[in-house]
Amino acid sequence: MDIFNGLLLGLSTATTLTNFAYCFFGVFLGTAVGVLPGLGPIATISMLLPFTFGLPVDTGLIMLAGIFYGSQYGGSTTAILMNIPGEASSVVTTLDGHEMAKQGKAGRALAAAAIGSFFAGTVGTLFIAVSAPLLASLALTFGPTEYFALIVLGLVTSMVLTSGSLLTAFGMALFGVVLGMIGTDVNSGAARFTFDSVNLLDGLDFVVVATGIFGLGDVLANLENERSRTATVAPVSSLFPTADDWRRMTAPILRGTGIGVLLGVLPGAGVLLASFSAYALEKKISKHPEQFGKGAIEGVAAPEAANNAAAQTCFIPMLTLGLPGTATMALMIGALVVQGIQPGPEILTQQPALFWGLVVSMWLGNLMLLFLNLPLVGLWAKLISVPYHFLFPVICVFVAIGVYSINNSVFDVYMMALFGVLGYFFKKVGAEPAPLILAMILGPMAEEYLRRALLISHGDATVFFSSPLSLGTLVVAFLLLLSIVSPRFRKVREEGLQDAD
Amino acid sequence: MKLSQDILLGLFFTTVGVVAATMAVSYPFGTSSRMGPGYFPIIISSLLIVTGLLILLRSRLTRVVIPTVGWKPVIAVPLSILVFGLAVEPLGLPIAVFLLTVLSASTSEKFRFDWRAFAGAAAFAAFCSILFVDLLGLPVPIVGNWLQGLAS
Repeated sequence: MDIFNGLLLGLSTATTLTNFAYCFFGVFLGTAVGVLPGLGPIATISMLLPFTFGLPVDTGLIMLAGIFYGSQYGGSTTAILMNIPGEASSVVTTLDGHEMAKQGKAGRALAAAAIGSFFAGTVGTLFIAVSAPLLASLALTFGPTEYFALIVLGLVTSMVLTSGSLLTAFGMALFGVVLGMIGTDVNSGAARFTFDSVNLLDGLDFVVVATGIFGLGDVLANLENERSRTATVAPVSSLFPTADDWRRMTAPILRGTGIGVLLGVLPGAGVLLASFSAYALEKKISKHPEQFGKGAIEGVAAPEAANNAAAQTCFIPMLTLGLPGTATMALMIGALVVQGIQPGPEILTQQPALFWGLVVSMWLGNLMLLFLNLPLVGLWAKLISVPYHFLFPVICVFVAIGVYSINNSVFDVYMMALFGVLGYFFKKVGAEPAPLILAMILGPMAEEYLRRALLISHGDATVFFSSPLSLGTLVVAFLLLLSIVSPRFRKVREEGLQDAD
Repeated sequence: MKLSQDILLGLFFTTVGVVAATMAVSYPFGTSSRMGPGYFPIIISSLLIVTGLLILLRSRLTRVVIPTVGWKPVIAVPLSILVFGLAVEPLGLPIAVFLLTVLSASTSEKFRFDWRAFAGAAAFAAFCSILFVDLLGLPVPIVGNWLQGLAS
């Protein structure tokens, strides 16, 4: 099927009244929850998952994508208005965005973010439509060796790009792999790490762990500095960028989009890397680098465009290879599995309506974001100022019901509570949980591909170096690891990531 | 000796690694060409032990003290989730939501036990039941099986 027919099929899927309505619904809810301070995309998606359970597969996936964009954009709104980044990739937005808000230009900063995001989203979606089918057919030629190498690259990237020490991130990833191995081994049927509990035979549900660590863990951490929480929301002024704003932000948006589209495909923390690189690039080539950090509109438009472009294209490895590039994508895979879909190269050929419907609704979702966010910004500002002591019991209830409804299992609710405490523990000891989340999904895949690769090669590990693609991927992973030893990169990484949690 | 971040994290990784390794040795290891269910777990848990020990070693070099821990929410909020889990099947969703709302809210310093808190929790419980069970069709009991037993 060529792209044009694909898009037509997608259009007919995405514009049925139900799917359109649920896309809107997803974007709306995602933004509404995403703007709440302290709730990043992972917590937002896991809280809103139960809303998609009762839906047919395509509608559910479309709504899920809507929630994902909504939560991404909601995070930027909070970053600009309150100086609280909802997730690591909006840290850069706070630098100049909140500075603009303080100068009374909050509306223009929000508009720059929305316009940048929309443009980037459009390009990102087109890029998916063009490249995903190509990559999927390429992926069908990948053997277990290549898959294993890609997984290693993804894990290494996510470790290099988290704040804190590499050793800590490595430990978190290993712990994630151990968690992922809990349950029945697919190959031998042996029950592993189940502590003789029937509830663990099917494994630990990934969504339960993510909800516990990110949803509940954040509640616990926020509650203890209840007194020091300042809820000052910058007032929103005119939403229309001036002619000068347009002139200043056009090129940054284009460059940010380019960076985002390319980096988003990279397995690992693509979104984060994209927004940081876009900001750094703008600052470097700007004629007035001294304005950055003091409310330069370029410093809002470029990273927001990059952020959103990467948020689109990071669907590519997930949809075509079945490999999540980021912790958020790992959660999306978890949600798809709940719906009974195993993402991978076959999705495109076996369920074309699903794939193309998703692509088209991604674009529709971005369009809705533009029209939803700017007029409704007053509503979002009100939502942000809801006091936390009203908010957190609601969050607790939503995560509890959400987790219970995945398998109708009370055991999952207890596990979620346990991982909430663990998430709090990780925060206290300075360990970033993103590699854990990614490793929990990638670990069992890595084991399976390693097993197959070694079975084919009769136990010869050099097979990973004889396939050019796998060798290349592993070399990139190795170089990334080496780069962290270089003092120059180390400095950049520390500066960029220090506030990222 | 004052506890530092690295000591706690190192101990945590080492403990998890040791527990996982002791369980993993009982699974058939297999060979490289035919990996058994124990092959990968043993590699991973050994690496985890080594990482944990390295972090413990690192803790002697730099010492980052743990930020103060607010014990009250850390204990009370998970406990109220536990209560929700215990209540949802025998008592039904509305009662479980009501309990979870009131119990978790009570950990906040701004919470007062007065009629408004209870009315709010009750209204929220009703809202959740309508939203999740009636509108979204999640198979969660409104009236728990224990209460149903009492009624019949």
